[in-house]
Amino acid sequence: MALREQWAETAMGVVVLALAGGFLTYSLSVGGVSTKRGNYEISAKFGEAGSLAAGAAVSVAGVKVGTVSQVTLEPKTYLAVAKLSIDPTVKLPADSTAKITSDGLLGGAHIAIAPGASLEDLKPGGEIENTQGAVDIFGLIGSVIRPQGGGSTESTPAPAPSATQPAESY
Amino acid sequence: MAAGEAARKVAVNPIQALGRSTLAAVRMVGSVGVFAARGTAAALSPPWFPGQLLRQFMAIGFFSLPVVGLTAVFTGAALALNIFTGGGRFNAEQVMPQIVALGITRELGPVLAALMLAGRVSAAIAAEIGAMRATEQIDAMRTLSTDPFRYLVGPRLLAGVLMLPLLTAVADTIGVAGGWLVATRVLEFNPTIYIRNTIDFLESWDIVSGLIKAAVFGFIVALMGCYHGYNASGGARGVGRATTHAVVSSAILIFASDYLLTTFFTHMS
Amino acid sequence: MTQIPKLAWKGVTKRFGDRAVLDGLDLSVAPGRSLVIIGGSGQGKSVTIKTALGLMRPEAGQIELDGENIVGLTESQRRKLFSRIGVLFQGAALFDSLSIWENIAFRLLNADGVPRKEARERAIEALEQVRLDPAVADRFPSELSGGMQKRAGLARAVVAQPEILFFDEPTTGLDPITAAAINELISHQVRRLGSTAISITHDLASAQTIGDEIAMLHGGKIVWRGPAADLRTTDNPYVRQFVEGRPDGPIAHAV
Repeated sequence: MALREQWAETAMGVVVLALAGGFLTYSLSVGGVSTKRGNYEISAKFGEAGSLAAGAAVSVAGVKVGTVSQVTLEPKTYLAVAKLSIDPTVKLPADSTAKITSDGLLGGAHIAIAPGASLEDLKPGGEIENTQGAVDIFGLIGSVIRPQGGGSTESTPAPAPSATQPAESY
Repeated sequence: MAAGEAARKVAVNPIQALGRSTLAAVRMVGSVGVFAARGTAAALSPPWFPGQLLRQFMAIGFFSLPVVGLTAVFTGAALALNIFTGGGRFNAEQVMPQIVALGITRELGPVLAALMLAGRVSAAIAAEIGAMRATEQIDAMRTLSTDPFRYLVGPRLLAGVLMLPLLTAVADTIGVAGGWLVATRVLEFNPTIYIRNTIDFLESWDIVSGLIKAAVFGFIVALMGCYHGYNASGGARGVGRATTHAVVSSAILIFASDYLLTTFFTHMS
Repeated sequence: MTQIPKLAWKGVTKRFGDRAVLDGLDLSVAPGRSLVIIGGSGQGKSVTIKTALGLMRPEAGQIELDGENIVGLTESQRRKLFSRIGVLFQGAALFDSLSIWENIAFRLLNADGVPRKEARERAIEALEQVRLDPAVADRFPSELSGGMQKRAGLARAVVAQPEILFFDEPTTGLDPITAAAINELISHQVRRLGSTAISITHDLASAQTIGDEIAMLHGGKIVWRGPAADLRTTDNPYVRQFVEGRPDGPIAHAV
């Protein structure tokens, strides 16, 4: 093969590798792939986890601050226990609320934390007491379309979400 | 009597022809199998020829980057447009990044990179080895106490298996980049959110299953090139035939194994 | 008195389809002698060599090297044998992607594990033996003329001092002057190494220059054998027709 052709092909190969490498680096920095080093873990229990799964985002005021590392079932209370891995620079007040929500009808479930007013912060291993589980959209729609038993003013199986309710709602 | 005999001959011959070609196909499967076994054994046991292996890494891997990159960027861009259109019919345009990423890493990255290599590498290998066969270079090599399977076939098989996954990784990245470019410039997606969604959505198995496919495809591409080149006969025309057969059989085997692997991987997850 | 022949074909039969190219071939070469096999095109001269090299397998018969049958050996057994053999193929069969010196030293580099520096030195020595300019060492086969390629092929065949040399149509396609040079080189190398040589050709001048003895192959068998000097004086009708180049005679049109 003529030497000039070889140089051209080599250069092209290098260019392609550079482009791929550049895009990859950009993606990783922007995509917020947290290094997991230094993250601290807290937990939250929910009555209904919905489609929440490990890897889902944990956000405060819409900003990603960590990920869900695990979702398991607590055998005695039949509650879904979610372990959250939080960025060490983010401190959460002890009375914060965790809510399972989703981006849209088709968006995946993730956890949104609304900070409380307490002066104390959650320590590693701590638990968010105030939680609200996943809302069953289709159940809601179904119950509105076909109201149960007597009267449409009966409390629906899934009342409207409220951020400060202490007990879990179904 | 003559007419009856003639009639019977006409009736039997298509069946004979079909039987013969079926037998020939079966024989070929066996022949390819034996060749593959010899080549793999040669690749995995000493003595090795590191100089040849390195040459093949460059020829099969590095010099295929431009064509793989081009394929990937245009495919990613076109795919993004189409998925966006499709998603729009469900008011689900927002999931386009995820679907595009899934399609590229699981299917289009490995398959298209392999097809590009089938055309480029498989043909080149068949032509090179076929020409060597036609000019008695393979016989000469044997008389020089060197096993052509170790010197020629083994390094190419290894290079195929190792290089195509790397090329696919590049293709995946550039394919997603292609989709990203179209999404951010034409479809007004937010650049950061696009990438976030892609990364959050992709599971490692999506990428790894694509790379496993690529390794299998790489083996196929190198094997078909070596097999058809090694068995070329009949001078220049034979070499040309070998090249064509190598490309076509590579492509067919890539599609067949892609279907089998996809089914297998889907069941697994 | 009876010396074991260096190489002997005994009753060798090789078929292609239903055509017997070699039909019970009996031929032997004494050690250190140079035998030239002549015959018409398509008569099986190349096949004779290829069966001895194991590149083709005969349907029947034995081929003995120093008295031991070498038909049906495994590839690894044969590889050991090849270290004693050198072959010059018809088109030189040089490896296009390697330089001339890497071609010549191919056996040394890849089968014998000789270090590159030493292998290159020996290759350049071999180049000088075949009267090629050492500057050629780093060029590639496609840059050389046919005659130079043949010389390089010869260098590759003799670099490891083989006991037996095979020459497949060494002068075919060369102009008379280059052909004469190749013939001279071949006989010089054979004498220098004391090897046994078996050549095939249909160039009579070549046959008489490089051969001690000549054998004629026709119809899958040897029809005449004698000292090189007798080639033009023998009465054998096949040899006569061949030497005189007549289209009519016992050798019918094969092509």
